[in-house]
Amino acid sequence: MLSWLLPVLLLLAWELVTSAGLVPARRLPSPHAVILAGWKMLRSGELPRDVAVSSVRAATGFLIGGLLGFCFGLAAGISRLTESLVDGLLQMLRMVPHLALIPLVIVWFGIGEEAKVFLVAVGVFFPIYYNTYHGIRTIDAGLLEMARVQGLRGWSLFTEVILPGAMPSILVGVRYALGIMWLTLIVAETIAGNSGIGFMTMNAREFMQTDVVVLGIVLYAVLGKLIDSFARRIEKGALAWHPSFSL
Amino acid sequence: MASVVQPLSIRQPLGAWPRAVTAQPPARVRPAGGLGVRLEGVSRRFGAREVLRDVALTIEPGSFVAVVGRSGSGKSTLLRMLAGLDRPDAGVVELGGRAPGVGSAETRIMFQDGRLLPWRRVIDNVALGLGRDARGRAEAALQAVGLADRAAEWPRVLSGGQRQRVALARALAAEPRLVLLDEPLGALDALTRLEMQALVEQVWQQARFTAVLVTHDVAEAAILADRILLIEDGRIGLDLVVDLPRPRRTGAALAEVEGRVLRRILRG
Repeated sequence: MLSWLLPVLLLLAWELVTSAGLVPARRLPSPHAVILAGWKMLRSGELPRDVAVSSVRAATGFLIGGLLGFCFGLAAGISRLTESLVDGLLQMLRMVPHLALIPLVIVWFGIGEEAKVFLVAVGVFFPIYYNTYHGIRTIDAGLLEMARVQGLRGWSLFTEVILPGAMPSILVGVRYALGIMWLTLIVAETIAGNSGIGFMTMNAREFMQTDVVVLGIVLYAVLGKLIDSFARRIEKGALAWHPSFSL
Repeated sequence: MASVVQPLSIRQPLGAWPRAVTAQPPARVRPAGGLGVRLEGVSRRFGAREVLRDVALTIEPGSFVAVVGRSGSGKSTLLRMLAGLDRPDAGVVELGGRAPGVGSAETRIMFQDGRLLPWRRVIDNVALGLGRDARGRAEAALQAVGLADRAAEWPRVLSGGQRQRVALARALAAEPRLVLLDEPLGALDALTRLEMQALVEQVWQQARFTAVLVTHDVAEAAILADRILLIEDGRIGLDLVVDLPRPRRTGAALAEVEGRVLRRILRG
């Protein structure tokens, strides 16, 4: 409850300042103007379409990059051979900000869907790779030894010990990757796009529709928060055994 | 009146115990017959330090042997060799005539720190690696250690003593013929330790597996073991048969055994 106090106060202050005309509406529209703009675009179908387009891009990129990161992380975490093959390269590439690839990506893919999905996938890959790998490597060696003594091998060792043992770290990677997913999508859509929330705000700027610009920003915040709550719920379910996640 | 332990009366030919195969799940932890242990000329070094040198040892099937010694005396290394987790640099280790294999259903370890999987409930921890009828056998094992009512709990809500009971149940659930106890009660408070000693003795008397207990606690060794081995300088410095009626709690004879072992340790 208390956590809502500050946002509500901020919103009230914003409404007061803008309605009183202290700040011109072209600089900063009032909250009710933003809501009105949202309502209008909702009825025209523009808003649902842009949100849907952005969401599909985010999800596709996340799935591709996340799955690849998970698989590489598993391979490097489980096998020393794979680790020495891929980890050096990946740790090096991890240091390159993936948004630095934008010019190259535009040359490769133009400004179509592939460019955005590709960028999201690259951004999401590294945190999930690293945290999966790291999670497996930091599993208590005593537990692994115990599992071997109990006769666990192969698949059962993986499902009973390795995967659940690495899960807290993997989920940290997932949450971090979700943040990167949005960031990448916003930048990609703003710089090179013809649809989506990022494009919607950039387009609105051309016509000085600051209410739509602010609406876009609010949308990102709301969608980001929704996804984070979703990730938290998954964490709570998957890590019910963990002292930090139980009630 | 407690039964007098007669090690020779339960002697079985080494490795001659076929495992009983039953279609029905056992109602409780069922006697499986102990596994004989033989070590011949076993040496093991870590770098320049030789922790075991030319150790020869035979353990009767079904007997309870305690291995004591100072820290770093090689007693844990000996235990790990019996589990197949470590190999001798020279010499032979045989369990029932065969080399130890990690993950064999015939051998289980109970570790000092329990090593329960925090992400599996108590019952699933006990059922770990059981395969056929895992659930029923795990329930029977939990029953045997008196924790059947905590089956659905997470390990972290249990007390230290309860966690070790679960670890004991897990070690027993596969009906192993050799149970290796690696200082299993070392981290428990004195009262819980006494309870656990009684429990270990009880399940051993029921199932008659061969038990090898590594411990710092000479009193514990005297209470539980048929035979106490003291490892010093990589060799078996003392091999003492404890032929006292069970259950042993206190008494002059027990104190005498304890005293002999302690004097030997302190002298060394």
